[in-house]
Amino acid sequence: MGDLLAPPNTLEVLLGNEAIARGALEGGLNVAAAYPGTPSTEIGEALSVAAKKLGIYFEWSSNEKVAAEVAIGAAWSGLRSMTMMKHVGFNVAADAIFTLTYAGLTGAMVIVSADDPHCHSSQNEQDNRHYSEAAGLPMLEPSNVQEAKDFTKEAMELSYRYKIPFMIRTTTRVNHQRGPVKLGEITAKPSVGTFEPPEPDRYLQVGAIARKHHIELLKKLRDIQEISGNYARIEGPQDAEIGIVTSGVSYAHVKDALRLSGLEARVLKLGMTFPLPERTIGDFLRSVNTAFIVEELDPFLELRIRAIAKDHAPDLEILGKLTGHMPQFHEYTVRTVLEGLSKAFGVKSPIDFAEIDRRSLSIASKVPPRPPILCPACPHRSAGYALRRAAGRAVFMGDIGCYALLFQPPFKVEHVTHAMGSSIGIANGVSLSTHQDVIALIGDSTFFHAGIPALINAVHNRRKMTVVIMDNRTTAMTGHQSHPGVPYDAIGREAPSVDLEALVKAIGANYVKVVDPFDHKETEKAFREALKSEGVSVVITRRECALLTVRNLRAQGRRIIPYKVNPERCTYCRVCINTFACPAFIDKGSSVEIDPAVCFGCGACVQICPYEAIEPQDGSLNWKEEGLGV
Amino acid sequence: MGELREFNVIVAGVGGQGILFTTNVIARAALKVGMNFVQSEIHGLSQRYGSIRTELRIGSDVHSPLILEGTLDLLIGMEPLETLRHAPYVSERTTIVMSDHIIPPTAAYLSRSRIPSLEEILEDLKSLRPKRLAVVDAYGLAERAGDYITANVVILGAAQATEALPFSNEVLRSAVDELSPPRYRDLNLRAYDLGREAVSLPR
Repeated sequence: MGDLLAPPNTLEVLLGNEAIARGALEGGLNVAAAYPGTPSTEIGEALSVAAKKLGIYFEWSSNEKVAAEVAIGAAWSGLRSMTMMKHVGFNVAADAIFTLTYAGLTGAMVIVSADDPHCHSSQNEQDNRHYSEAAGLPMLEPSNVQEAKDFTKEAMELSYRYKIPFMIRTTTRVNHQRGPVKLGEITAKPSVGTFEPPEPDRYLQVGAIARKHHIELLKKLRDIQEISGNYARIEGPQDAEIGIVTSGVSYAHVKDALRLSGLEARVLKLGMTFPLPERTIGDFLRSVNTAFIVEELDPFLELRIRAIAKDHAPDLEILGKLTGHMPQFHEYTVRTVLEGLSKAFGVKSPIDFAEIDRRSLSIASKVPPRPPILCPACPHRSAGYALRRAAGRAVFMGDIGCYALLFQPPFKVEHVTHAMGSSIGIANGVSLSTHQDVIALIGDSTFFHAGIPALINAVHNRRKMTVVIMDNRTTAMTGHQSHPGVPYDAIGREAPSVDLEALVKAIGANYVKVVDPFDHKETEKAFREALKSEGVSVVITRRECALLTVRNLRAQGRRIIPYKVNPERCTYCRVCINTFACPAFIDKGSSVEIDPAVCFGCGACVQICPYEAIEPQDGSLNWKEEGLGV
Repeated sequence: MGELREFNVIVAGVGGQGILFTTNVIARAALKVGMNFVQSEIHGLSQRYGSIRTELRIGSDVHSPLILEGTLDLLIGMEPLETLRHAPYVSERTTIVMSDHIIPPTAAYLSRSRIPSLEEILEDLKSLRPKRLAVVDAYGLAERAGDYITANVVILGAAQATEALPFSNEVLRSAVDELSPPRYRDLNLRAYDLGREAVSLPR
């Protein structure tokens, strides 16, 4: 092994992987995490030695995704981090990485993908340059040992500058090449950061927020790199001058748009988009005077078609996203295509969209937005309520499931919604990078899917953090599928259920408590105890998804009798709306009522009202007292 | 029935109101009479008491699963605010059948946004000059039928009575019958009939 810590301006003989490690140290590395895999392993081995000597942080994580999350947690705490893996390891980490390019960073992060052409020590010859493009992840490709060091340092700096992770893509012959490297200054040092998103919703990739971030990512990527896109059936008149190239659902929009516009065009519909049928596309391009490319999102097809056109129809006019005729974000509709065609060819749409917009948008804009909200009787609402009270100052790593909605007021107990299992994974990175109280929220199904390796990682690596497993006995968000924690399988047969509590204890969590979230006091107390305990603490909030409880009650022929607000007692303090936000509450201006058409009659809100104004009606149930849904 | 080229329906409301079921019934009716259709819907988290709509296009000339503004034939509004949200789709060819029961968005309370009244909503909808606007006491009738949860089927019955849908009463009613889970069948059919009676004929 070369001397990784040799002084600057000396020539040191290094292995390519050592050079990458040195480049990271020169780039100011604070935290690195990886799972070993040839040809990337020596990067971690080199860093483990350096980490010991420099006092910076390195760990072998429980898998590539968890390693990436540890690095994400550090980069979101303002530190500089790196994660490295072999090409197939990227497949494991990809879930966390794709969302990361939307989210961006406050610190810096380098992702090393070591590809293995010829399968020297691998099961395939996967080319991870595709990931760079697919994830919107800018990439540098060093060709020798010197560049391996220089590019890694460069990537760290570019990442810090653009607030986006950078990828170093190597191949075996770079990783395992050895040669003299001119060294620069090591700036790596131990550091403590602060988890502080640049905007409150920066790390919350849900619907509206993710859409916004996608546009921002595109803007970022225009400064840094190109992107591209992808399709074989020809329809329409032989002699048409306009050729439309399209695929997937855009083909359907094109069909409707053409009929409505009356425009004469030939349509090339590509079915298989990789590999691209170059000759078919080439022949098609030669047969028309203008090509109009219609595809959603990235201009994947368009760039390749331009490349193909260079050889087959170099003078052809090609119109699409790159010429500003079609948008590069969000979903397409027939309207999008009609407007694009009208911009490109001056055809008049049979529908006057400007007139529609003029008379209707001011009307539609009066309607207040209705974002998704937790259902009436949802146990996550109660858990969120208790968390807010017990741990309002903590930083909260959320995950993929209904509980992601807890990012909204009044709960605001999610700062992160990233990828399956990432709450615990990123909590690993944040807790080692800051002195803040760190709480990871995760659903039962998600925990089984991808939370366990991250929890194992947290226990083994001596993290101090609290994990809340919100066990609603199903996979609720996608429509109530089974998972390993329930006693039935996908087709309804009896099946062994995995005991969450025993599993978590066996992993070695220091404090483990199971509570019913409808008992707000008990739940709040458990959260407080968990935060005070050492090491990894786990609170399981267990109560069935309300939609299932209601379905079962109805199947038993029981009627759902709503609760009622006693107007004599209601002081219009709005504590119910402001702290619990059940959709059944209606603000009447001087009092609050419960909408009987929305209320599921669970009774969880009775504990919230400071004036004891919420009361059952004849026949109302009290789910907690009657043991329903537990 | 002559060949139908294009008939576009949006069912709009709040997650949990049975919007998908309502749309599925109409699609089943199309299937029963041998009409082509394409349907577009939303699943998963986005439906949790948020704004929901499904789009259904029936006829020989439909390809895109998404409806073009200005080409909507029927807007089934399970909730008035969600109906108004679809104003850009409404034109002289649109029949609107709407529940009168406003479900205020909790987010509007928290941000203290103003929520339009039913009267304002009706006025705005009328200003778009729809072919017809029918307002139904869907929840009241659903309760009469036996349960609030049938409000969606009440509106469906009302929509049939406006004759905006290209199906006979028999076809649509039997689609309700076929798609209802057994324990809701009678309840749903009662709700459907009450909705149908609520819209007076002829207009």
